[in-house]
Amino acid sequence: MLHSNLGNPEGPSPLRAPFAAHKALIPLLAPSSLFQNIPESGHKYYLQFSTEDYRTGEDAGNCLATVLFPKKRSRPVVSIKCSHTKDQKEIQEEDNKFYQRIRHQSKPITASNIPDSYGNIEPALEPVWALAVAGSSSIMWEKSTETLGYFLAQVKSVRQWMRKDDFIEFDYTVLLHEMPTQEIISCHMRLTWLPGQPLKVKHFCAPEGHGAEQGSGAESGSAAGPAAEKGASF
Amino acid sequence: HPVDLRVPFPSLQGVKKFLDFHNFSYSIMIEDVQKAEMLRSSRHRSLDTATFNYEAYHTIDEIYNFMDMLVAENPNLVSKLEIGRSTENRPLYVGGKCTGGTNRPAIWIDTGIHSREWVTQASGVWFAKKVLTQPSRTMDILLEIVTNPDGFAYTHSTNRMWRKTRSKHAGAICVGVDPNRNWDAGFGDAGASSSSCSETYHGPYPNSEPEVKSIVDFVKSHGNIKAFVSIHSYSQLLLYPYGYTETPVSAKAVAALSSLYGTKFTYGSIITTIYRASGSTVDWTYNQGIKYSFTFELRDTGRYGFLLPATQIVPTAQETWLALKVIMEHARDNMY
Repeated sequence: MLHSNLGNPEGPSPLRAPFAAHKALIPLLAPSSLFQNIPESGHKYYLQFSTEDYRTGEDAGNCLATVLFPKKRSRPVVSIKCSHTKDQKEIQEEDNKFYQRIRHQSKPITASNIPDSYGNIEPALEPVWALAVAGSSSIMWEKSTETLGYFLAQVKSVRQWMRKDDFIEFDYTVLLHEMPTQEIISCHMRLTWLPGQPLKVKHFCAPEGHGAEQGSGAESGSAAGPAAEKGASF
Repeated sequence: HPVDLRVPFPSLQGVKKFLDFHNFSYSIMIEDVQKAEMLRSSRHRSLDTATFNYEAYHTIDEIYNFMDMLVAENPNLVSKLEIGRSTENRPLYVGGKCTGGTNRPAIWIDTGIHSREWVTQASGVWFAKKVLTQPSRTMDILLEIVTNPDGFAYTHSTNRMWRKTRSKHAGAICVGVDPNRNWDAGFGDAGASSSSCSETYHGPYPNSEPEVKSIVDFVKSHGNIKAFVSIHSYSQLLLYPYGYTETPVSAKAVAALSSLYGTKFTYGSIITTIYRASGSTVDWTYNQGIKYSFTFELRDTGRYGFLLPATQIVPTAQETWLALKVIMEHARDNMY
């Protein structure tokens, strides 16, 4: 499964910074897609889809992509070309505005449950959420396979680390919703950013089968592993 | 150790000065707690279904109270039936709009079988109110709003992401069974998990969950349910079991839904559209001969997911209702 933020339209390279037309794919519902089984090579998908700005919902252009999942277990090969609706300058300006706002905080930002149970996001915390969206899509990029996909379910907590240099840095705990297993995966994410530079993301996701509290699995955080599953859980 | 402080307004400046003087770092989480509380929802109980707040998420008590009000206001049209009890002994209620006569053909709608899918219970409440404004039809409407009450209570009290029931079976390490894998249709096949810690755990045997068994018993004893719709979120899909062939109804339903706010839905059989699932509700109902068996996955497609803002409850319910009407009308006009 493919997920959001296929990165730079010119190629599968570093993530765009938040507000920079964050490409949000409608997973599973690519308006048109083609599947090709290439014997000895792997599975190839041809996709055409529209994107929208994650923050505002406005149209952010269309993309054409191919994704090859090689027969042997290596990373998928992606080629992608997108039309832009925003120009680079506009994107840079938004990034800078966002950056300045965070830099001018006198105290480190800390928050939890974004959105809350009712879907609310404090307006002041929207940029922090946007940053989490961008950062967690790099986690999803790494974890996704041909049969496993992810969504950002919730930002469980965020804490800003004040730095002496110009970079801004956040520590996140994010909950990812995994499909089709329906599991909720808890991931720790350390995110560093400076406008004009790609987002730096370090992450660690709690191993599955540990009955992570967030999902419907365990009562307490028991580390007992699951019994062998009957067939794939998809 | 981080500490949360709620500061009354007159003390605000003093507290800020104190914190700054002692070099305590702080950040403002909520500027105006009273405003936030008032905005969030009207927590005081409404006295009738006209003043009930459909644009907010409610607790199980509030929803059960709503049902009682609805019945009290419309004693000749609406009745409430207890079809069983959950694992934690919560009543399982089905609201029925009866057109008179005994055992007329009926359509069944359930919401909230997966407890974290909050927009579905909220839509169910809206459907309940809406159903009464419909002119008398030849079909009864049966609506179970809180199909998984234990799970729902748990999403409010402890874990917003809880999906399953809250049963604990002998030998199971973890709590809860996926009620949408517990039905007696391909039970235990690929598409469900045999691990109790999994979100798709099918349970020790079919109908092990009282939430599922009560519906099975009800459907069998009713004997005249002609359409069955199970409502989930999210992904914006209209799904039908493998083997169902009347796709024009689905196309029409999806078009009707989309006509209101432009919300795009995809339709298809479960296995080709979403993924393989065994022991699911509509597989069982279809095998029982209920030809028009559908699963809905409501808004959105992942941006908010389970945490859909309350402002989208009513639009979601309104557009979904248009699709339900297409299905109802088709069933009514194609009696079997």
